[in-house]
Amino acid sequence: MSEIFNILLVQNTLRTATPVVLCALGCLMSDQVGIMNIGVDGMMLMGAFFAVLGSYLFGSWLAGILFTMILGMLLGYFYYVFSVKFKSDEFIIGVALNILAGGLTVFLLRTLFGVKGSFSSPRIVPLPTLHIPWLESIPVLGPILSGNTLLVYVSWLLVFLCWVLLYKTPLGFHLRASGQAPEALRASGVNPDRMKRIASVLCGVLAALSGAHLSLGYLTMFSENMSASRGYVAVACVIFGGSNPPRVFLAALLFGFIDALGMRLQKYIPSDITSMAPYVVTVVMMVAVVLLKRRKPSGIKPAAQ
Amino acid sequence: MSENAPIVRFEHISMQFPGVLANDNVTLEIRKGEVFALVGENGAGKSTLMNLLYGLQKPTLGRIEIKGKPTSPHHDPTRAMAMGVGMVHQHFKLVPGFTVAQNIALGMEPKKHKLFYDQKRINAEVTELCERFGLPLNPQDTVGELSVGLQQRVEILKALHRGADVLVLDEPTAVLTPQETEELFQVIRRIVAEKEMTVILITHKLGEVMRLSDRVGVMRRGKLLDVLNTSETDERKLAALMVGREVLFSELREGAPGTREVLSVDRLSALDDRGLPAVKGISLTVHEGEIVGVCGVEGNGQTELTECIMGMRPQTGGTVTLNGRNISRLDPRQIRAMGVSWIPEDRLRTGLSAQATVTENLLVGKQRLPEFSRFSLHYRKGNARRYGEKLASEFDIRSGGLELPVGSLSGGNMQKTILAREFSFDSPVLVISQPTRGVDIGAIEFIHEKIMEKRNAGCAILLVSADLDELFRLSDQLVTIYEGQITGRFPNGEIDREEIGYYMTGGR
Amino acid sequence: MSTGFLQSVRTLFALKPKQKLTAQYLLSLFAAVALAFLVGAGIMLLCGYDPITCYAALFKGALGKPRALGNTLAKTVTLCLTGLAMSLAAKAGIFNVGGEGQLYLGGLAAAVVGARMNGSPAWLIVACSLLAAMAAGGAYAWIPGALKVKLKVNEVVTTILLNSAAIYFCSYMANGPLKTAERGIESGTDSIASYAAFTPLIRLSNLTTGVFYAAVITLLVWYLMTRSTVGFEMKITGTNERFARYGGIRADRLALWGMTLSGMICGVVGLLEVFGLHHRFMTTISSEFYFDGMLVAMIMRYQPFGVILMSFFFAILNIGGSAMELSAGISSEVMLIVQSVIIFFMAAEGGISEKLRAGAAARRIRRDARRAGKGAAV
Repeated sequence: MSEIFNILLVQNTLRTATPVVLCALGCLMSDQVGIMNIGVDGMMLMGAFFAVLGSYLFGSWLAGILFTMILGMLLGYFYYVFSVKFKSDEFIIGVALNILAGGLTVFLLRTLFGVKGSFSSPRIVPLPTLHIPWLESIPVLGPILSGNTLLVYVSWLLVFLCWVLLYKTPLGFHLRASGQAPEALRASGVNPDRMKRIASVLCGVLAALSGAHLSLGYLTMFSENMSASRGYVAVACVIFGGSNPPRVFLAALLFGFIDALGMRLQKYIPSDITSMAPYVVTVVMMVAVVLLKRRKPSGIKPAAQ
Repeated sequence: MSENAPIVRFEHISMQFPGVLANDNVTLEIRKGEVFALVGENGAGKSTLMNLLYGLQKPTLGRIEIKGKPTSPHHDPTRAMAMGVGMVHQHFKLVPGFTVAQNIALGMEPKKHKLFYDQKRINAEVTELCERFGLPLNPQDTVGELSVGLQQRVEILKALHRGADVLVLDEPTAVLTPQETEELFQVIRRIVAEKEMTVILITHKLGEVMRLSDRVGVMRRGKLLDVLNTSETDERKLAALMVGREVLFSELREGAPGTREVLSVDRLSALDDRGLPAVKGISLTVHEGEIVGVCGVEGNGQTELTECIMGMRPQTGGTVTLNGRNISRLDPRQIRAMGVSWIPEDRLRTGLSAQATVTENLLVGKQRLPEFSRFSLHYRKGNARRYGEKLASEFDIRSGGLELPVGSLSGGNMQKTILAREFSFDSPVLVISQPTRGVDIGAIEFIHEKIMEKRNAGCAILLVSADLDELFRLSDQLVTIYEGQITGRFPNGEIDREEIGYYMTGGR
Repeated sequence: MSTGFLQSVRTLFALKPKQKLTAQYLLSLFAAVALAFLVGAGIMLLCGYDPITCYAALFKGALGKPRALGNTLAKTVTLCLTGLAMSLAAKAGIFNVGGEGQLYLGGLAAAVVGARMNGSPAWLIVACSLLAAMAAGGAYAWIPGALKVKLKVNEVVTTILLNSAAIYFCSYMANGPLKTAERGIESGTDSIASYAAFTPLIRLSNLTTGVFYAAVITLLVWYLMTRSTVGFEMKITGTNERFARYGGIRADRLALWGMTLSGMICGVVGLLEVFGLHHRFMTTISSEFYFDGMLVAMIMRYQPFGVILMSFFFAILNIGGSAMELSAGISSEVMLIVQSVIIFFMAAEGGISEKLRAGAAARRIRRDARRAGKGAAV
């Protein structure tokens, strides 16, 4: 037992959860302005690729991050244009974006690097690992909390910043209003479309960054379909967390935990089953959330319909 | 600026939307310090004109002047507010999840350290504002949980907070009780007299126009027909101008109701969508050939009541009986089979499928009859089409074509579609909710006639409406509802409007 | 809970299939395809290839030889069936994004039954395998369907998650308990009875007698959706579920049936792959077949006839793309990009044409007003 439930599990949880956290934060921002972004999985994938590309070309992880962020901004803006300006069906755009991401990354993989399947190279510089002294001094968890790659800590900071932004600044109020009652915002003199644009771009950046963690912070390579539907899990986390940053963070941690647990159990249980588990658990949780909410208002069960 | 100088001017304003000319060469002056009423039927262009003033749209042609200054080509709500125009919309532009103070502050939030939202300061500012204008509110209440009257108060305060001296009110009394309407009128009179404000009132309620306004402008089909001094006109003249012909509201009732009880509701209770009690032990009875009119301001449980009767909402107590048989726990399909039809209050949400064709909407409920379905399998399009044509001509449904989506029809024609369908089942019981809301006077006539036809033929009708004129015109019996309970029962003729308002707001 | 999210979830639920394929829409489609091909040409040029050569190779590779045509038709079948599966559910207002998983499970079930029944008459094997495939696919679709209908759980997210779950599960089965003992097979179940497998119609191509089963299913689905009373009720349910319920239509049941039938069709697609091609279940049985079909359905606004036609076109792009890679050298993914462009353009079509119309109308008004001069003041 102690082989499985040990301190390394915590570390793996953090590392596995981070892409979902970042992606979910982005999805959450988009959702607060009323745009359901299902294309975050594709953004994550493309982010992963461009991070590797930037790092490879310039021999620096910072270049990788910059590449990713610029890509994210473009993708976010693109999503905004199509879903708000052109009033496209968000679902179609999202799924199409995911497909485009898959196709584009494979295409570029073959055309630019001449490989199939995955790309790895010593020229790719991974994200730095940070050792934070005061974190290390915390008993028990210290050695685990410190020594993670950059984006893990960035993600924690971002959870806090997103919360502050949304609930403690005027901009946050405007963002939320543009999702809840855009016409009210417009009549108050603020353009809700502009808010949606801002949120979409932020969403793109965060979703792309989550991919950068996958390819530069977790491993140091890009492989086809690297995102493995984690973008959809992020969407599910946003649903659980009601688009509230701290709650969404917890939901993502839970996913990370189950995923990490699954990997440790691979010695005893076939890998396919452990890979399956997080997805099944997520579905079960979605159902649980709905059931719990039903019980709340008055305790009276609705008559059979 | 001199006393009766124009504070707002519209010069040759035209507004073109795809397919419809909403404002047609309108030239109009509003004078400082007056209460100006703008009347017209739905779709006449009144709201559009005011949206232009407020900068929510840009006119296709013409210019607007506020306090002598023309509006800029980039006129928008911010600029309108800066120029002193405030607007209280018919459908409130409030964020239900924010508090009163947060809503009032929206768009001009006070900042702490230039970055953070200064909640304390805005709470204090709002409290001070309430006192200054005599409109009490709690800044920390969540707007979504306030009553409609209070929500409107938030809207008004929001406009005043920005220093409006021209206040535009779009159909303000549509959702208020008679008492709240009275309060609103007092507020309007007060701010015009004490604070030197100008009020533009958009309405189609001619009684209010006569009571409140100094001048009245009549619009029809986008054109401004005339501007009159209120003291020199009356309701009949205004109605005639609005519609373009004499409108006769003749007596339609023939004969007394029967004595057989058809629909009986006994101590019915139900919860609303939020899980709070909405219907609290309601009992009523409808006899054959009788119209029972349920009077109440929207939001007092009527919606939930009719949904329960139709099987669309589960009850928490009580029974509904039809001709002696308990139909309480049945679903809509079964209840329809037992002979109940319902004209719901929200056309597009419940009464129609906006994207399905007119014919399809007319056919729903009958699609399994042998006439329209061979072996319950094959959909007989030809028969359906002919049936649709028949009904459309009988009910005067005007459309660009019956195979177009029903969402492309006007409000009145959509309502007639629902009526045509529900009436064609020849059900012994009809539940009718807000049948003429948002419908033009011409169509109102038609609908009322059709309802009375059914009554005179022996149908038992439960009529729920917020329109007192309608209720008094059609009902045999009046029942008042307030906060989910019946507060009074009166045969029509034994009570008048003032008294009934008292019962509608909880008096017993 | 953020009401913004409730709004977007409601938007998702309320995603209604738009109705007609108007002439204007088809014109936009044509423009979209042209634009997409231009974009593809641009990419080709950037990578140093000649677009004309590439596109020629594409069409030749899809339609040139009988073998290629056979492959294209086989692909058309797959796209058509998955597209119809998506359309059927969508018409009833429910979005089956999990067809891939249902396909896998259907294929697995068919393969197992097909292998176990070795010895029985061929028609019996096929019949039982069909039932098994439909049962597996249908049941797996029923789960998220029921969750949506009874508990209002978002079916888009659940079906996507369940997809991954199903694929992993099938992989586990094919590599584990059901792994065949035959040599040389890396991961796969036992081979089905060879005499029960479908025979190729065109030599060396993927087109087999399975296409007849597909044709029958296509016809049935088309009839159900466009000519039947149930289809009428589904349309009402899909466009306004509350109205359907109010009108006495069994909306819940219809939506659930739509979803289940959709899953059953996907299961059959899995069977077609097993019986037609691999003759056993393998984890490589499908590569995003369902997503491709889903996109066809979405572009053609879930109209069956349109789906059928578009499947053929997309099949050409797909098969031709691979052939193009072999002969012209450019990676076949460029056609995926072309397809994405078509999809994006068509998704935006509504908004774009609305803006164009509004702009044109405004210009016309200004022109007429200037000509007529200002009217007299009232």
